[in-house]
Amino acid sequence: MVQSYPSLLRLLALIILLGVSAVGLVAAAEPASSFGQVTIPSPPRPAEAINCVEPVEVMRRDHMKFLLHQRDATVLDGERDKKYSLVGCMDCHNPASANEEIVRYEDAEHFCASCHNYASVKIDCFECHADRGLASSQQSRLTLWADTQAFSMQTFRHQMGQPRGD
Amino acid sequence: MQPTMRYTEIKTSTPRYWGIVAVFTVIALIGFAAAHHMDVEGHHITGMSNQIVWGLPHVFAIFLIVAASGALNLASLSSVFGKQTYKPLARFSAILAVALLIGGLAILLLDLGRPERLIVAMTHYNFKSIFAWNIILYTGFIVIVMAYLWLMMERRMHRWTKPAGLAALIWRLLLTTGTGSIFGFLVAREAFDSALLAPMFIVMSFAFGLAIFILLLMLSFRLDQRELDGSQLQRLRKLLGIFIAGVFYFVVVFHLTKLYGTQNHDFERFILVEGGIYTQLFWLVQIGLGNLLPLALIYAPRLQGSSPALVSACVLVILGAFAQLYVIIVGGQAFPLDIFPGYVVESSFFDGAIGEYSPSLWEFLLGLGGAGCAALIALLGIRVLPIMPESLPAEVD
Amino acid sequence: MATELENIQLEPARRQFLKGAAALATTLLAPGILLYQTGQASTAPGQQPRWGLLIDTNILSEADVDACVSACQREHGWKADADSPTDAQWIRKVKLSDPATGYQNFLPMMCQHCAQPPCVDVCPTGASFKRADGIVLVNKHTCIGCRYCMMACPYKARSFIHENLKDQLPVAPRGKGTVESCTLCVHRIDRDGADAVPACAEAVNQGGRKAILFGDLNDPQSEISNRLRELGAVKLRADMDLDPAVRYQGL
Repeated sequence: MVQSYPSLLRLLALIILLGVSAVGLVAAAEPASSFGQVTIPSPPRPAEAINCVEPVEVMRRDHMKFLLHQRDATVLDGERDKKYSLVGCMDCHNPASANEEIVRYEDAEHFCASCHNYASVKIDCFECHADRGLASSQQSRLTLWADTQAFSMQTFRHQMGQPRGD
Repeated sequence: MQPTMRYTEIKTSTPRYWGIVAVFTVIALIGFAAAHHMDVEGHHITGMSNQIVWGLPHVFAIFLIVAASGALNLASLSSVFGKQTYKPLARFSAILAVALLIGGLAILLLDLGRPERLIVAMTHYNFKSIFAWNIILYTGFIVIVMAYLWLMMERRMHRWTKPAGLAALIWRLLLTTGTGSIFGFLVAREAFDSALLAPMFIVMSFAFGLAIFILLLMLSFRLDQRELDGSQLQRLRKLLGIFIAGVFYFVVVFHLTKLYGTQNHDFERFILVEGGIYTQLFWLVQIGLGNLLPLALIYAPRLQGSSPALVSACVLVILGAFAQLYVIIVGGQAFPLDIFPGYVVESSFFDGAIGEYSPSLWEFLLGLGGAGCAALIALLGIRVLPIMPESLPAEVD
Repeated sequence: MATELENIQLEPARRQFLKGAAALATTLLAPGILLYQTGQASTAPGQQPRWGLLIDTNILSEADVDACVSACQREHGWKADADSPTDAQWIRKVKLSDPATGYQNFLPMMCQHCAQPPCVDVCPTGASFKRADGIVLVNKHTCIGCRYCMMACPYKARSFIHENLKDQLPVAPRGKGTVESCTLCVHRIDRDGADAVPACAEAVNQGGRKAILFGDLNDPQSEISNRLRELGAVKLRADMDLDPAVRYQGL
């Protein structure tokens, strides 16, 4: 009996492992909303039907690759590629009209936050970058700068170029 | 025949020892908490600004790093220069050097605007920057001195002690030169831009490192109730006197040279006469308490062999060290840049104005935390590793 | 067998044809390329432009310099409260006076975009860098916030962000813990090249006057080069031999 303790322990460990795996499998098979509090994200789609930058599966896996490559090209070489620019992302995915509430990265329904909160991957892009497209920047900027003259969409487009799909 | 020196871990388990360890642990933890708060809130909670960009944390950090380099002195004297009298202290010298450097480096890294980008700092190097070199020198110092310590502890490796000691000596001279050159290479500011700063920092390292070494040596021996003969301390006392005189010499030469150029007169007047807190720190604390009074305590005939006098001298040297670094680092930034010589300059960005700086509690806690971290590493190190000699009797030859 | 022989015989002919065609094409295209290049700019082919500013303080009044500062603030979304030592200032109004003579002048002061920038030399990660076209920038993705470049700058041009920021503008990402300075409106330059006008220049160049002139210092035909040749200008702290791209007249 004494000699069989190690094998008993091993058996116990195996049972626990199988049990946990079974629970996990069952949980994964069910729709997530019924298992816990976390909902699968459904990031808001742009209102206008514009061509996507890349197919969704590609974007989900590789959007950081595009962004990381693009940011070096922009900062170091001055190449501002509208296709992969962060401003371009925000123009489409968080445009917000002047009438609606501004959606910031801290809000759960922000385009980037909706997936990143779910995946628990912390990003710090928006510590520096604007987390919304043109119109809402204009709106909040106007409340900050009371003495600003009327902002010109034309000037801004001249600065940053047309968004994709125009 | 002289018995071989025995080194042992300190065994004391007195409440006093653990109490001291607990105090330093709490200090270190508070320092990290302060750093975290600075990271979350941003540096606006500190006294540092766009005018004075480096403040009290950097004074602490540079002090610890310079002292770390100097603390290795005694090990170098025995391993490299063959002075056997210092051999028993070599291991303690090495662990103290590592502990002080880790403490100083921790403060520097935690004060960064984006400390989470440490990986970026370790993988992107601009080799024209002395700061980049310093990152390599500081981390390399830790590795080299730990290796040196191991070679000293492993008696079968004793023939490697001299090469390792030499490597450590050269490395630490490079490190201290690099630290002094952080300021010496800054051409833009009158307070810096001097080749003299590198050797001055080396001599400062001798003095500061030895002062801390003596204090912690006496503390460690007392905690474990080991014998520490006065003649050992006498030798260290004389060394300290020489080093303090060396620091004084460099300070005098530095300022005399600057005074010779009329274009520097405004800056020298600021530091030596009109600079308020900087002038007071320079004359009263750095020169008076940090140089002259310790020299008197060390060389006064009536005080020879007096332990309290030696302890006081060491404490005063450390006080003077902080004042000296404060005047160099903060005072050097407070004096405005001379962009338009001959004109009176005013702007919203404080051009032409003396920079104002009052250290905040967070900076003080961070600096203190780093020092506490260094003390903690040293105290735990001598408990875990066989570093302290069992006794230091009158003559060890 | 026969086909092989045929192929071998055809080879020289094919080669001759290709050679001839290539020669013809080059002869046709070459003048076009030459014209295109000379049409673009007078900067020598292969040489990058070097962007610079010529600031004429004789023309600029105090109100003009204030307008420069406001324009930069609006363009990039920064603001400095009076007497706040921690607020960033990309450009500032400097008042010079000589008490002996009573002389007074105002000028805008910003990053001088030196050809030999000390800030680039001292940056440990290389975040502070000089672009091929001479603009000195901070790559905020790599900046660790050590502030050594701020110590090194002879003009105190750099600012450190001391607090969490909100509502940054898309053209000017800025964030806590990094260092920033005047970018010469690089987002405008990347779009418009030699036709770009930085915001500060745009604010004061009204009515045809060119109080702040932007242009290519490497192009001997550009307006800024002509003006420099004619009237000369001053480099601040010229004794340091940093060769700044921002030059001043009237000092």
